[in-house]
Amino acid sequence: MRIIVLVKQVPETGAVKMDEETGTMVRAGVEAIVNPLDLYAVEAALALKETQGAEVTAVSMGPPAAAKALREVIAMGVDAGVLVSDSAFAGSDTWATGYTLAAAVRRLKGADLILCGERATDGDTGQVGPQTASFLDLPVATYVSSIDAVTTGHIRVSRLVEEGYEGLDISLPALITVVKEVAEPRLPTLGGKKRARNADIPVWTADDLDVDPGRIGLDGSPTRVVKIFRPQVARKAEMIRAEDESEAAAAAGRVVEFMTDRGLL
Amino acid sequence: MAECLYNRVSDRVIDELKQIVGARYLICDDADALEAFSHDEVAEREYAHMPEVVVRPRTTDEIAAIMRLANREMIPVTPRGAGSGLSGGAVPLCGGIVVLTDRMNSIVDVDPENLMVVVEPGVVTREINEAIKGYGLFYAGYPMSLETCYIGGNVAENAGGGKAVKYGVTGRYVTGLEVVTPAGEVVRLGGKRVKDVTGYNLLGLMVGSEGTLGIFTEVTLKLMPLPKAAVDLLVLFEKTSQAIHAVPRIMTSGGIIPTAIEFMDRASIKVACEYLNESLPWQDASAMLILTFDGSDEEAVEREYMTAGDLCVNAGAIEVYVADNHTTSERIWRVRRNIPEAWKQYSANRTTEDIVVPIAAIPEVLKGFERLQEKYGIPVPCYGHAGDGNLHAKPVMPPEWSVEKWRETLPRLLTDLYRLTNQLGGTISGEHGIGHKRKKYMPLVCSKEHIAIMRAVKRALDPNNILNPGKIFDMDESTSEAADG
Repeated sequence: MRIIVLVKQVPETGAVKMDEETGTMVRAGVEAIVNPLDLYAVEAALALKETQGAEVTAVSMGPPAAAKALREVIAMGVDAGVLVSDSAFAGSDTWATGYTLAAAVRRLKGADLILCGERATDGDTGQVGPQTASFLDLPVATYVSSIDAVTTGHIRVSRLVEEGYEGLDISLPALITVVKEVAEPRLPTLGGKKRARNADIPVWTADDLDVDPGRIGLDGSPTRVVKIFRPQVARKAEMIRAEDESEAAAAAGRVVEFMTDRGLL
Repeated sequence: MAECLYNRVSDRVIDELKQIVGARYLICDDADALEAFSHDEVAEREYAHMPEVVVRPRTTDEIAAIMRLANREMIPVTPRGAGSGLSGGAVPLCGGIVVLTDRMNSIVDVDPENLMVVVEPGVVTREINEAIKGYGLFYAGYPMSLETCYIGGNVAENAGGGKAVKYGVTGRYVTGLEVVTPAGEVVRLGGKRVKDVTGYNLLGLMVGSEGTLGIFTEVTLKLMPLPKAAVDLLVLFEKTSQAIHAVPRIMTSGGIIPTAIEFMDRASIKVACEYLNESLPWQDASAMLILTFDGSDEEAVEREYMTAGDLCVNAGAIEVYVADNHTTSERIWRVRRNIPEAWKQYSANRTTEDIVVPIAAIPEVLKGFERLQEKYGIPVPCYGHAGDGNLHAKPVMPPEWSVEKWRETLPRLLTDLYRLTNQLGGTISGEHGIGHKRKKYMPLVCSKEHIAIMRAVKRALDPNNILNPGKIFDMDESTSEAADG
């Protein structure tokens, strides 16, 4: 089968600092890594490659430096990488990104399965995967926690939902976004690093893709960021004390009440 | 204990201590609170001892006043940092006063022009690097407990750690100390000077003195340019011998001195991976190496790790994993750093040994461990700093054994272990120190004359034997002959 994994290069989260005045992220000097949640999608793809046999291609949209992220996943075992990069794509919101990535997938002549991480750790929207699927008119399953079976033309997955797990049987081709539970990402290997170093990573610009210039980049992005602010975290702690054993039962009762009121029990 | 000829801490002394440090920075009459200061990270409870009072001074003068009071009243004083030591160094063996340096935690001076930083003893080691990162500098000390340990303790124990192959141990970076002597005087040794031969090397004497010759109140450390690139390799080997033989080849054939070369045996990998729920495919491996390379640019580091990685593959490595970003790197090092904690969960009765041998003797030592496991029926998992010959053997009590049997057998195993180490040109501690945990084994590796010189030094600086008594060696010669414990 043919698998495409969509990956994004993001700033190392541990190192991120916010500019207090503008409220935006300071990206200068911060190490760039593969979005950690995308590594689970990569791992799921590589596991399928091992069990089913598959050709795995990673696609990333970003600045030229994002090629490093593609080399990183090639070092893990991905077969090939394609970088979608053009100043015309700059300022894309999730909608324009999904539109552009869908065009890249089409240029790759589609795939049986497209895998994405749950969301990127910088933007945190979780929208690009489903939007890409909508532009490709593919069925989509989000929050996939396990891939249970792959048969000709079908995939069975479990989704992590509020109440537990939901089993879905989806016809292929399809797009799924995975959560951490799906698999523990493997580490890149020395052999992989050597392959990645020599890998030819094509860079596709707007001209290489069948896209409407009005629907890409900032012009194609309906999202307007009006204001960025830091939410105030208000912790409303209530101290419940039991001074001695005789008060323990009543205190425990109040803890239960507190949690029930907030829908936690 | 023959040396505990001290006076108890009286109410009057408590009042005086309160006047020195302030009542709120003194702990006494609260057994639960004091218990925390009765031990360090040594697992065996027999090495613990309760203090009578704990004081938390803020200044050098306060510590000097405490020392003068202690001499006048003949009360022992034990300095303590974070209590993360592994030889009992911070244990108040004779009761008395524990001087905690936790409030002395300022970074006094960052001096990028001189590549120096001046810190107080209670600064957590990792925080030094946080504070100077912006200057493109770093402090090269890297004890495994760097998230909790204090720099003062690092200096007192001359801590080593994971980067000693390339960067050496704490002492290499200490260029100056402010010290309160056991008699309560304040002296400044060294300074921001890279070279200094003004008289005896008292600075060198203080480093690694395990809190017996002075309390450090200010430390001047030499810094290095922060490497711009670093890569870690995690290498799995089917056979232990393959891993061990790969180590010297990296340095000789490869011509590379890695920043770190850490060794872990199968038992240690297993316990750490299970503790961390880490999915590394360790099942087929009987040994694992972590190799770190750092340098001024990515290309240079890449060349080094590719060469070293190839040497490992040629030596028979099953797989070589590469971590070239902080997240992956942390995943690899987490396994190594959590081994002690993982063993802690596994068994309440265990001991951490800290032998060091010339690097070429490592294969021989590992064979010796196997023989000892067979002879005594005690598992001896092993991990540590393969690049500098400093191995942590960790005898663990078999679950079916009684504690009595364990306590009776362990000293015999350790005596054999230390004798073997000594025969191979090694010694009983590379970085944890002697404290009182290894004191009785000192005659196995130090001659009578050697110990006599150390006693003379101690006597000269601390005539009343007030500061951290009962550590490293006994002052009374007759009590320190029984090596077989």
